[in-house]
Amino acid sequence: MSIAVSKKKQARTPSTAWRHIFAWVLIVFAIFPIIVVVSSSLSKTGALSTGSLWPTDVSVSNYVMLFTNPTIPFGRWMLNTILIAAVNAVISVLIGVFAAFAFSRLRYRGRKQSLQVLFLIQVFPSFLALAAIYVIFEHLYKLYPLIGLGSLGGLLLVYLGGSMGSSAWLLKGFLDTVPMELDEAAKIDGASPSQIFWQIFLPLTTPILIVTTLLSFIGTFNEFIMASLFLQDVNSRTVAVGLQSFVGGTFGANWGPFAAGSVVAAVPLVALFLSLQKYIVSGVTAGSVKG
Amino acid sequence: MNLLKPSALAAVIKVFLLAVATALLVWMIYTAVLASDWVVAGTLALVLIGANYVYFSKRAVASKFLFPGTVLLVIFVIVPIVYTAWMSVYNYKTGNEITKDQAITQLKQVGLVPDPSGTTYDMVLGKANGKDAVLLTNQATHEVSLGDAASYKILTPGSYTTDKNQKAISATGFVADSPSEIAAASSWLSTFSVPVSADRYVTPQGADVAALMHEKFQFNKDNTQIQDSVTGVLYVDNGNGNFVSKKDAANILYPGWRQFNPAQNYLGLFTDPKLSGPFIGVFVWTIAFAFITVLMMWAVGLTLAIAMDKKIRFRNFYRAILILPYAMPAFMSILIWGGIFNGDYGALNNLLGTHVQWLNDPWLARGVILTVNLWLGFPYFYLISTGALQALPTDIEEAAEIDGASGSQIFWRIKLPLLFQILSPLLIASFAFNFNNFNIVYLLTKGGPTDVLNGQTAGATDILITYAYKTAFGSNEQNLGLACAISVVMFVIVGALSMWSLKRSRVLEEM
Repeated sequence: MSIAVSKKKQARTPSTAWRHIFAWVLIVFAIFPIIVVVSSSLSKTGALSTGSLWPTDVSVSNYVMLFTNPTIPFGRWMLNTILIAAVNAVISVLIGVFAAFAFSRLRYRGRKQSLQVLFLIQVFPSFLALAAIYVIFEHLYKLYPLIGLGSLGGLLLVYLGGSMGSSAWLLKGFLDTVPMELDEAAKIDGASPSQIFWQIFLPLTTPILIVTTLLSFIGTFNEFIMASLFLQDVNSRTVAVGLQSFVGGTFGANWGPFAAGSVVAAVPLVALFLSLQKYIVSGVTAGSVKG
Repeated sequence: MNLLKPSALAAVIKVFLLAVATALLVWMIYTAVLASDWVVAGTLALVLIGANYVYFSKRAVASKFLFPGTVLLVIFVIVPIVYTAWMSVYNYKTGNEITKDQAITQLKQVGLVPDPSGTTYDMVLGKANGKDAVLLTNQATHEVSLGDAASYKILTPGSYTTDKNQKAISATGFVADSPSEIAAASSWLSTFSVPVSADRYVTPQGADVAALMHEKFQFNKDNTQIQDSVTGVLYVDNGNGNFVSKKDAANILYPGWRQFNPAQNYLGLFTDPKLSGPFIGVFVWTIAFAFITVLMMWAVGLTLAIAMDKKIRFRNFYRAILILPYAMPAFMSILIWGGIFNGDYGALNNLLGTHVQWLNDPWLARGVILTVNLWLGFPYFYLISTGALQALPTDIEEAAEIDGASGSQIFWRIKLPLLFQILSPLLIASFAFNFNNFNIVYLLTKGGPTDVLNGQTAGATDILITYAYKTAFGSNEQNLGLACAISVVMFVIVGALSMWSLKRSRVLEEM
């Protein structure tokens, strides 16, 4: 034992140095694009000059342009994104917690099979069926333009379709940790399952539901492929589709406002992420330890 | 527990929500019925009946909680998956999107061409039986007839009067239009035609002349052959969704229809050189990309986790910064990196003073994709590796040290295999995710560079999902059937991978 300890001590100095060097190399790598985008957004021309990470022509004109130029309705994109992400987050977590309650607490015929089927379905990313979704919603557009191709309503329905798969599974894990004794006591007092759900489970799980709602919000904010399939009109775009259309066309002219838009959209989202870091990290690491 | 008394308010809310849903569904069913869309109407009717049964019945307790999610899941996830499989066995592409009946109807409407007889008429506009009608005088034979949009009849001499040029100007039951009515007639004249026989029509050529026309395409009885009445070319059903000239296979009539052809899309992916070349290339790169990217991310993430496993100085500071790539919205990071690597305006070329076309060279573009994906993914692998490192039993390491194992032996022979075992479900999940990582490829390179000059349809960095996307929504031809076949291939691969990893982790038995 003592030999091993002394060996460790000898090795300590060099071993600490490589740790710091490795961390710093990755830090440079990690923050490089962030510095580039921030300094580009503050540069009047949006371009960086050779050998300098800081713009020589500092100006906030790119930020002003975002909210004043009618051809780039960035404010509208932010509103669309917040609206669809928020509505989807609330409804999908509600749907998820309903289903999770049934899976966790109710015993009914076919429960195990339905759980297995659900698990298998949620393995497939919904965008694999994108050609079919396109044809289906093109058809629906003729009947109900508000939920057809091109509408935020249709996009919301596609997102909600996946909520059983994603939220229900996550939330079932949380509901399983609520002690059985609680609902058994309520049952003896004559409470119905829906009373147990609304008056015991929902208040108890509110904090975790809020976290799940915020995580779902971040997820929808990040979604690009379905949104780009649905939202062609410039005013109905989300931030993801809008920013992509920015740099898709005449790249050089739009890089400045694109960088500014990225900063404006990223700051609240990164702040939200970091404030939820505890839950995200514990969720991620729980996944690794469980296996 | 007086808390748990049934609340009147809850009952009111429940009935109110159900009433709103019922009203909405009834309106939607009504709209679908008006459009004679029985599939949509029937589906919605089932949802309507189901909702009212589930929420008013005293039984079916679990269904009350599962109903909304299940309905959305079935309609918007399961139906599209089934529909993907259905579309994949059809020849379903631009020009072949409708049913055969619709295609034949459209071909019949393609056009009317002047009848070879060259018959023309003098025409008087008016009304008969309250409908728009025309009084026609054959300019060659002076035969007089009366027609409207639905009928045509030859009049017997005596039932009409003519002017000095033998042109009929009035007839019994026919009221000629006043000059002001004639001026307004252009609105209906443009779409007006009088059916003379099954494929012959009289159509107005102005306000006072008409001509005998016939359909360009003449169908045989069971709609298996079409003859072009102008050129005389005979078209036959080629069994794959089109009428094609008997003599010249390149002479195809459009629109075609979607034809059931299960072999075409799937076998084509492997045998048709136009499809299989790009498909196999894309397939190999997809697997290589997913494998290399996971390996790189894990190598960097794990090394970082080991580096930060000791309580070194500034650890919390390092951690806070190194998690940033994970916190940034991924689509945005990819677009930013795309801007940085842009060959013409990009920040990297500006900083270095170089003019490298990073994204225009196949191998450079692949390297860029792997680099950017490493940036996006290493924090996640750092987090999961940290978790796994902490879960390693410490006594194993101590036992190995006592047995005289060196530091590197302990790592390579003991820790790494253990870590791999702990993390393998997440590594497989990450492989499956990157296998379908649409965003990184589409937002960074759009799958390019693509050698368009040599007629390539797939780019050097295209993976299966972006290739399917291009195939389905490409600019020149949209081949939805083929895109669905590629999707099904991906479903099978992702499904097999997931099943394998689930079997290992025994999640399905624990439920």
